[in-house]
Amino acid sequence: MARADSLAKLAFAYGVHLTWGRLRRPRRQLSGLLETYAQDGVRPLLATERERHPRLVNCINCGLCALAASRLGGTRLPDLASSYMRLYAGLGEASSDVEGDSPDLVAASAVCPVGLPLDEVAAVVRRLTTTR
Amino acid sequence: MAASGAYDVVVIGGGVTGAGIARDLSLRGLSVLILEKGDWGAGTSGASSWMIHGGPRYLEFDWDTTRLSTQDAGYIVTIARNFVSRVLFIIPVLPHDKNNIERMETAMEVYDRFQPLKHAHSHRRLTAEEARKAEPGLSPDIVGAVTMEEWGVDPHRLVFANIEDAIAHGARALNHARVTELIRDGGKVIGVRYRTPDGALEEARGRVVVNATGPWSPQVAAMAGVDVELRPAKGIHIVYPHRISNFSISAESVDGRDLLLVAHAGFTLLGTTDDDFYGDLESVDVLEDEVDYLIQAFERVFPSIRDYRPVRTTTGVRPTLFKWRRYEDELSRRYEVIDHAKEGADGFISIAGGKLSMYRLMAEETSDAVCRRLGHQAACATASRPLPGNEAEPEPAAVLASRCGIPALAAMKLQTRHGTNAEKVLDEGGTSRVLCRCEPVTEAELIYATRHEQVRTLADAFRRVGVAAGPCAGAACILRAAEVVGRELGWSASQRFEAAREFVRGAWLGRAPVLGHAGWAQEELAQGAMSSLMVSDGAR
Repeated sequence: MARADSLAKLAFAYGVHLTWGRLRRPRRQLSGLLETYAQDGVRPLLATERERHPRLVNCINCGLCALAASRLGGTRLPDLASSYMRLYAGLGEASSDVEGDSPDLVAASAVCPVGLPLDEVAAVVRRLTTTR
Repeated sequence: MAASGAYDVVVIGGGVTGAGIARDLSLRGLSVLILEKGDWGAGTSGASSWMIHGGPRYLEFDWDTTRLSTQDAGYIVTIARNFVSRVLFIIPVLPHDKNNIERMETAMEVYDRFQPLKHAHSHRRLTAEEARKAEPGLSPDIVGAVTMEEWGVDPHRLVFANIEDAIAHGARALNHARVTELIRDGGKVIGVRYRTPDGALEEARGRVVVNATGPWSPQVAAMAGVDVELRPAKGIHIVYPHRISNFSISAESVDGRDLLLVAHAGFTLLGTTDDDFYGDLESVDVLEDEVDYLIQAFERVFPSIRDYRPVRTTTGVRPTLFKWRRYEDELSRRYEVIDHAKEGADGFISIAGGKLSMYRLMAEETSDAVCRRLGHQAACATASRPLPGNEAEPEPAAVLASRCGIPALAAMKLQTRHGTNAEKVLDEGGTSRVLCRCEPVTEAELIYATRHEQVRTLADAFRRVGVAAGPCAGAACILRAAEVVGRELGWSASQRFEAAREFVRGAWLGRAPVLGHAGWAQEELAQGAMSSLMVSDGAR
């Protein structure tokens, strides 16, 4: 009975939806959507970053990059690069971690056993943590 | 055998429902003992999709379940506000999907009526171009998409927060304590016998005994000589250690089921399957076929899915109520509170069925039944009383980080697990060292969890603080974690070593079904790092 009742109500809603669809003009909703979820710290990757993304997340956390890069000041790159690339929502709250000069990311990439382009990773992380 | 006390209520089962019942009854002023044979939330609760969701799928079968579920989700979101996060789904529609874009939007329009109950936003409809802009990895074949919002939560933390609050209100809670027998006095159940973590047999008396053991309910009910009839259904998830899509995505499987790619904070769950399960509940394996089934479905809408390296799988068994002649997917997620007095087991109550999103309501109704049986009058307070760490907004992560000398990212993660108690956790540990770089987890948090959150094994630590949950799957941190936990619990060097080995063995079962090319490279590294664990007894 519950099933029949549910399907009947859905069928009615479908009729209403189709009728309204004929009467109203569709509007673009993407910008509203992104604005809504920006408040929750969700920052989408760009199309170019998306394309490269599978190559940027292969870190196996061996720690060699941190040894090779001679980390400077307070920046947490590259040793926590893998953590940032996990793309937590609200990364902006952690922007203080990546402030300051970059260490030698070329040297860090050179020793990476899985060939992670750490300069690219750092650029993506910085964009995501600092974009307002 | 020691007699270890008398309680108003003994709750068997430390999943989210059992934990919720223990909290509810403690808040009502009853004395409670809760026993869990493994760790808190280690069974069905932990193997869920990590979502407090309303279940738009049930609109086809039963609007009442959707209403109850969204309403209770709203309460949970309120009492656990620092533990939850919004999860936005994009539901892309392909030309040959069973539901076209108009039908899909109709379903979302109906679901929008329930969304305010759980403080969620209404749906939006996107053109194909807009959808691909929001989610550049989507297939070029999609004809449009709609969005839907749900809430994400770490079920392990949710379960423990309930346990923590129950303890704070006088309950006694023991994990790794397996009930071996129910004590009966004629037609009445008057207590339990259980084995403690150190192997001793103890006994506890309860005026009421509650069976909240999920898929194990029939086994526990059998100890009382009564029946609980379930139709257990196995579900698996694939875990990717990153957020691999901007938003969560829904897709249709080869047999027309709805599957979800859920983008949580820092990791992605792909699931789930739903198959009748007749096997041993203590040993539920993931099959490679099940992994392929899930990935195949998502490849249609998110073609780059195969470029990503999964890190492990999870599996659990749903305690679905029994129904003959239905496909697994069509089974109701309703629940039932069963008072077994009529069957000759007075003082014994089971809660069966249900889902994580309704755990609080299930706990409330079970607690009502217990109170009726005991003639105890007290109102339920769990719909509005915040869980520990959720009484206020936490301070900004960067401020906490700079004061405590830890990375802001670690502070952020800490707050998602402890809310406003994060600083207390760091103070207790007295160190700012980062123990696990993937997550990242501080050593202080693991010390706190061992001292105050009943961490007894490294698998407990994985559930409580997320150690070894990241891309390296423990290769870089599990030995250090064994040192920290071992130091707190007084383990000898060989006990620490054995604990790490046990964790590696257990983790392997979940990892083996998803190891691809890069996965094997990672595995080689882990083997190298932990080779001593594998060869010490010559059993490589």
